[in-house]
Amino acid sequence: MPNEQDLIQRLLKGEQAAYRELVQQYQGAMRAVAIAIVGTASADEVVQDSWLAVVRNLNGFAGRASLKTWLLTITANTAKSRLRKQRREVLLDDITGPHGTIDDARFAADGHWAQAPSLWHTDSPEALLNEQALRDCLEHTLATLSELQRSVLMLRERQALELPDICNLLDISHSNVRVLLHRARLSVFATLEHFEETGEC
Amino acid sequence: MLKCKDLVALSSDLLDGELTLKQRIAVRMHLAMCVHCRRFIRQLRVSQRVIRQLPDQQAPELETLLRAMQAQQQRASEPDQGDSSK
Repeated sequence: MPNEQDLIQRLLKGEQAAYRELVQQYQGAMRAVAIAIVGTASADEVVQDSWLAVVRNLNGFAGRASLKTWLLTITANTAKSRLRKQRREVLLDDITGPHGTIDDARFAADGHWAQAPSLWHTDSPEALLNEQALRDCLEHTLATLSELQRSVLMLRERQALELPDICNLLDISHSNVRVLLHRARLSVFATLEHFEETGEC
Repeated sequence: MLKCKDLVALSSDLLDGELTLKQRIAVRMHLAMCVHCRRFIRQLRVSQRVIRQLPDQQAPELETLLRAMQAQQQRASEPDQGDSSK
């Protein structure tokens, strides 16, 4: 990627504006990886340590992987070395958001909708996000998901990572990533549906 | 025949292009007939885009971090002082 090469050259020259650009662009993705591995409490420290490692090793970045993959791999390694033994065993926790999910209760015994999805007043994300109350409500839902669910959702939707990349970074199986993603998406859907129906969180 | 409940179970895989050919055909046939499921999938895609566009709330200590990185970078670019104490 020409822009990436250009950015790396500027970083190697020590251009502060380039560092700022780099951090602003990738901080969110790095944080999502860190949260998934060490949890929220230690994530910021891991991200900071990772950035320092990035600065130390920038000369060695050979451009074999994309810059993003390289940064996220450093973050995952930093997080894992901090984690050592205490890998959480809650991979497939069944946590759903505050507005539930689309579960069996929504279906009749024959597998058809008993309570079909209601029609939202708009299909425009911009129009939906216009409302501060809904933005806050979604933040609340995201905060109540498990850290792993939230991170997988963020890496997939906001960072547009492919599923195999998420598996590699977080050391979880492909099927687990799919399950986590599915649960997280249904929780978000349930929040939007609830807000559309009631106008409140 | 795919039921609505099955379709919901496959919905995330549908979004990610993870369905097998057989599943894709079954999903397409179901969606052709079921207005509720069409709405569900459409709105699930909307909620996907909502998450993509949700503004970032966390404001990390950007300036502090950048200063630390700058210091690190200066240390790295200083000539080797023969410091073997580390």
